[in-house]
Amino acid sequence: MLGYLARRLAMTIPTLLLVAISVFALVRLIPGDPVQVMLGDSADPVQAMQLRAELGLDQPIPLQFMHWIAKLATGDFGHSITNNLAVLPLILDRFQISAIIVLVAVAAAACIAVPAGLIAAWKQNSLLDLSVVGGATLLLSIPSFWLGLLLLLLFGLKLKWLPVVGYVPFSENFWQATTFILLPIATLTMVEIGVLTRMARAASIEVLRLEYVTHARAKGVPEWLVLGRHVLPNAFAPTWTLIGLVLGHLLGGIAVIETVFTLPGLGRLLVDSIFARDYPVVQGCLLFTAMIYVVVNLIVDLCYPLFDPRVTVA
Amino acid sequence: MRMRANTAIGGALMALLLGTAAAAVFWTPFDPLRINLRARLQPPSSLYWLGTDEFGRDVLSRVMVGAGTSVVIALLTVLLAVAAGTVIGCTAGYVRGWTDRIIMAVNDALLAFPGILLALAVMIVVGANKFGLILALGLAYTPSVVRVVRGTVLSIREKEYIEASRVIGNSEIYSMIRHVLPNAMAPVAVLATSMFGWVLLAESALSFLGLGVPPPAPTWGNMLAASRPFMETATWLSIAPGLCIALTLLGVNLLGDSLRDRLDPRMAHG
Amino acid sequence: MTRRPQSSPAWAVGLAGLALLAMQGMAGAETLLRTRLNADIRSTDPGTNRDANTDGVIAHIVEGLVAFRDDTSIGPMLAESWTVSNEGKTYTFHLRQGVKFHNGATMTADDVLWSLKRWLDPATQWRCLSEFSASGIARIEKTEAPDPQTVAITLDQPTALFLPTLARPDCGQTAIIHRDSIGPDGKWIAPVGTGPFKLGEWKRGQYVDVLRFDGYASRAEPRTGYSGAKIVKVDRVRFNVIPDSSAAKAGLLSGALDVIMSLSIPDLEELKSRSDVQLSITPALGLTGILFQTRDPLLKDVRIRRAIALSIDTAQIVDAVMQGTARPNNSALPLGSPFHSEAQSHGYVQNMAEAKKLLVEAGYRGQPIKMITNKRYSFVFDSAVLVQAMAQAVGINIELEVLDWAAQLDRYNRGDYQAMAFVYSARLDPSLSFEMLAGPKATQPRKVWDNPEAQEMLRKSMMIDDTAKRQALFDEMHRRFIADVPMIVLFNGAELTALHKNIKGYAGWLYPQPRFWGVTVE
Repeated sequence: MLGYLARRLAMTIPTLLLVAISVFALVRLIPGDPVQVMLGDSADPVQAMQLRAELGLDQPIPLQFMHWIAKLATGDFGHSITNNLAVLPLILDRFQISAIIVLVAVAAAACIAVPAGLIAAWKQNSLLDLSVVGGATLLLSIPSFWLGLLLLLLFGLKLKWLPVVGYVPFSENFWQATTFILLPIATLTMVEIGVLTRMARAASIEVLRLEYVTHARAKGVPEWLVLGRHVLPNAFAPTWTLIGLVLGHLLGGIAVIETVFTLPGLGRLLVDSIFARDYPVVQGCLLFTAMIYVVVNLIVDLCYPLFDPRVTVA
Repeated sequence: MRMRANTAIGGALMALLLGTAAAAVFWTPFDPLRINLRARLQPPSSLYWLGTDEFGRDVLSRVMVGAGTSVVIALLTVLLAVAAGTVIGCTAGYVRGWTDRIIMAVNDALLAFPGILLALAVMIVVGANKFGLILALGLAYTPSVVRVVRGTVLSIREKEYIEASRVIGNSEIYSMIRHVLPNAMAPVAVLATSMFGWVLLAESALSFLGLGVPPPAPTWGNMLAASRPFMETATWLSIAPGLCIALTLLGVNLLGDSLRDRLDPRMAHG
Repeated sequence: MTRRPQSSPAWAVGLAGLALLAMQGMAGAETLLRTRLNADIRSTDPGTNRDANTDGVIAHIVEGLVAFRDDTSIGPMLAESWTVSNEGKTYTFHLRQGVKFHNGATMTADDVLWSLKRWLDPATQWRCLSEFSASGIARIEKTEAPDPQTVAITLDQPTALFLPTLARPDCGQTAIIHRDSIGPDGKWIAPVGTGPFKLGEWKRGQYVDVLRFDGYASRAEPRTGYSGAKIVKVDRVRFNVIPDSSAAKAGLLSGALDVIMSLSIPDLEELKSRSDVQLSITPALGLTGILFQTRDPLLKDVRIRRAIALSIDTAQIVDAVMQGTARPNNSALPLGSPFHSEAQSHGYVQNMAEAKKLLVEAGYRGQPIKMITNKRYSFVFDSAVLVQAMAQAVGINIELEVLDWAAQLDRYNRGDYQAMAFVYSARLDPSLSFEMLAGPKATQPRKVWDNPEAQEMLRKSMMIDDTAKRQALFDEMHRRFIADVPMIVLFNGAELTALHKNIKGYAGWLYPQPRFWGVTVE
C-alpha cells in the first residue's frame, strides 16, 4: 500500500513540473506587466525600470524560473506584487472559503443524489424515475451563476432574508458567516445534484442487473437489504470517481460563483491576480489548484477498494 | 418511453434554438445594435417584448442574434476539440510507448488546469474575440476527448479483427481508420453533446468574468454579465439570457441522453 | 398625573448599549469613522512605495511646505509665506512657528533640510526624484537654512512647476518628517509627521487606523484642498481594506461603514433612493477620451479623425454614461482648473453633414478602425460603445476590441493601437495636463500629440511663472489641439462618494482623495 502511494505520488511530480513550467510561461506571455499596472498612465520609464529591477522582473526568464522553483522547494511561494503579502498564506486563507463551499455543497449533493439515483434506478422507467431524471437534467442545465443570481434576487433583494454581498469569516461570527455562504452552497448543491443523480442512477441500473443481485433476491433477502448492502456500495464507486473529478474542477471553476456572491475565495483571487498581472500569486494559485486536483484524484483512487472489494489498489 | 420523451423535448428545444438562430439572420424585431438612449432600461412591453437594455437596445432581438453567435461558437469549439482530440488520442493509443506517455503527461497537466482559467489566460494572450474564444475553449476541452479516444483505442486495438487486419497486410493507419475510429466515435459523440453544453456555459462564464465576445455583438453570456449592475432596477435583463442558456442546455442534454440510449440500449431498458 | 412613557426593559437597554459600543469599536465612547480602501496601502513612507490608496491615507498624517487648495492653486502649509528671487531660481520659505511633530518635537528649518535631503537621496526612491534630474523640471542646486525659521532652495533654472511638484500628493507632498521616522540602522519605522492625524494600527491586509493628533496646530484660513484649517472632530479613522466594491456598498447600507468613495454610476442610481445615505458628487480631474494613433496609415489623415469627432454628440454621450454627474469637455484642461478659460470651452460641435463630406474628401471606403476599450472602467466601456454607434451613423466602421486593463496599458505605452477609449488619472497642473498628451512619439510612444510647436509652447508654460502668459499659451495650445484632433477629450469624471446620513462636514474636491478633518459623526 505504501509502495503504491509512493509510486503514485512520484508519478505526479512530472505532471506538476509541467504545470509549473506552463504556468510560468503562460503568465509571462500575457501582454502587460505588473509594473505598468501599478504605475498606471503616468508611467515614468525610469521609475518603471527601477520597479522592475526591484521585483526581479528584469532578469532573464529562465533565471526567474529557477529562483521561483528554488524558493518553492523550501515552501516559499513568494510575495504578492500588488500588496506584498506572502502568497502561500494568502492562498490557504482564500482556499478555506472555496473549500468549505465546495465540500459542503458536494457532500450535501451526494447525500441527496445517491439515494435519489438509487431509487430512480430501482423503479426504472416509472413516473418517479422520469421525474427524478427530468429534475436532474433540468438542474444541470441551469448555468450555476445564473441560478446564483436568481437565488440572490429572490432571497437577498426581494425577500431580504439573506445578505446580498460581503463576507464574514467563521472565526469572527459563526451565524453571520453562515448567512453569507448559505446561498452559494445552495446554488452549487443544486447544480451538482443534477450531475451526480444521473451518474448514481446509471451505476445503480448496472448493478441491479448483475447476477448476484438477482441471486440475493432469489434467496429471499428483503429488498431494502439488497439495495442497501449490495447495490448502494457498488453503485457508489463510479459516482465517487465523478465526485473526485467534480471536486477537482469545481475548485478552479468556482471563480464565477465567488464573483456572483462576492466571496473572497481562491477562484476570485486567481482571476483578480490575472488581471493585475500579479505573477507570484497567479503561479501560486494555479500550482496549488493543480496539486489539489492531483491529491483529490489520488484519494478517490485509494478509496475505491472500500466500495468494491474486487478492485485492488495496485 | 423515456427515450421518446427525451428525443421529443430535446429535439423541440434544439429546433427552437436553431430556428431562432437561423431566423435571426434574416429578421429581428429591431436592430440588435441600434442604440436608443431615450428608451433605456424599459421593462417588457408590447413594443419591446423583452424590454430594453442600458443602451436602449431591444433585448429580444439581441437574444435572437445571441442564439446564433453562441451556437456557432459552441459548434466550432466542439469540432476543434473533437478533431484535435481524436487525432491526438488515436496517436497516443495506437502508437503507445514514449509518445503515449508524453502525450498523456501533457494531457493530464492540461486537465489539471481549471478549464475556465486556462481559457481566460489564452484569451488574454490571443485576444478577446470569437477566434480567440474558440481556440481557448477548444484547447480546454481537447484533453477530455483525448482521454476518451485513447481509452477506446486501447481497448479495441487488441481485438481480433485488428490482428486479422494486420495479418492480411493492411497498414497501421488503414487499420486504425477503418476499424478503430468508428468504434471510438460512439463515446465521442456522447461526449460531444455534453461538451456543447459545457462550452455554452463556459462562454457565458468567461463573459461574466470580463472576457468574451467583444461588444456590441450580443451573446447570451455577455448579456448576462452586463445585466448584473441592474439586477434590482431592471431584473428582466438577467432573466432572458439565462433562461435561454438553461433551455438550450436542457435540449442538448436531453438529446445527448437519447443518443446515449440509442448507442447503449442496455441502459434504456431495465 | 402625567404618565411616564413606557420604558424598555432593562435588558433591552443593556443590549442596545452593547450593540452601540460594539458598533463604535473598543475603547469606550471613542468617535470612530469607518471608511474603505479597495486594496491595502503599500507602505507608510510618504511618496516612495505607494499607490493611490497609500497617498490618501498618508495625506492625513504628513504635510509639506505647500499644499493644493480646492481649485488646485498652491497654498501655504508648513511654510507661512515664500518669496521668489534670483530670476525665479531661489525660493525662500518662511516657516510657521510652533508646529509640532507627532513625537512632540517642534519643527525647525533643520527638519526641513533633513527631510529634503532624504527625498533627494536616490536610495529613498522618492517618486518625484526624477522631476529634479536632468529630464525633469529643474535641478536643485542647493538647500540652506539661513535661520531656524527660514529655508532657501535654489534651482538651476526657473520653472512654474516647482511648487506644484512639492505639493504633489503622489509624492507625499514632499513631507516634512522628523528623523525619528528612521531607525538607527537607517530603516524606515513609521511617519513622524505634522499632520492632524498620526499613524495608528496597521493590520496588514485588513485595515489601517489614523488617530487624532491632539498637538496639531491648525491653520487659520478655512479648509481648502489639502491646505487651510484641519480641525479633527473624530478620535479615529479606520480605513478598512475591502477589495470588492459591492461588498463595500453592502457595508455602507448595513451600517458597518460610514464613507465609501469611487462609486460607479449604477451604484449612484441605487443609492440615491436610500434615505439613510447622502451622496457627495464633485467634478474630478481625470480625463476620459478617444485616443487616435496619428502614425496609423489610415488615421494619419486628419480629415478622418475630424470626421469621427464631428459625428458624435459629446453632450449626449456624457449624459448617458455619467448620468448627469459630469459635463462634456473637449479641452485637455479639466473643467475645474482655474486655467479652463472661455477659449478652452470651444470644442467639436456635432455636424453629420460635414463629417460625411470630410470622409468623402479623404477617400474613406469603410475600412474598419479598431478601437480598444476595457471593462474595468464602465464609463470608458460605455463611451466606446456610444462613440462606435454614433460614428456608424455617418458610415465610419469602428470595431471594438475589449482588452483587460493591463493589456490595454501595455498597448497604450507602446503606442500600438489605431484608436482607444482611455482614461487618464488626475493631473494637478495645466502644463502637466498637456504634458501627458503631448510629446515626441519617437522617444515617447505613449504620447498622442506630436506637434513640435505645441511642445515648444508646453515647455515655455512650464518655465514661466506668470499666470496671464501661461493662460495665453494654454489657449493657443488648445486651439491647435482641436485643429489637429490627435484625440477627442470627452469628459472629466466625477468623484462619487456615499456617506451615512449622520456624517457631517465632509466635502469632496477636485482631487479624488478624501479628507477626514472637519468631519463629524453624529
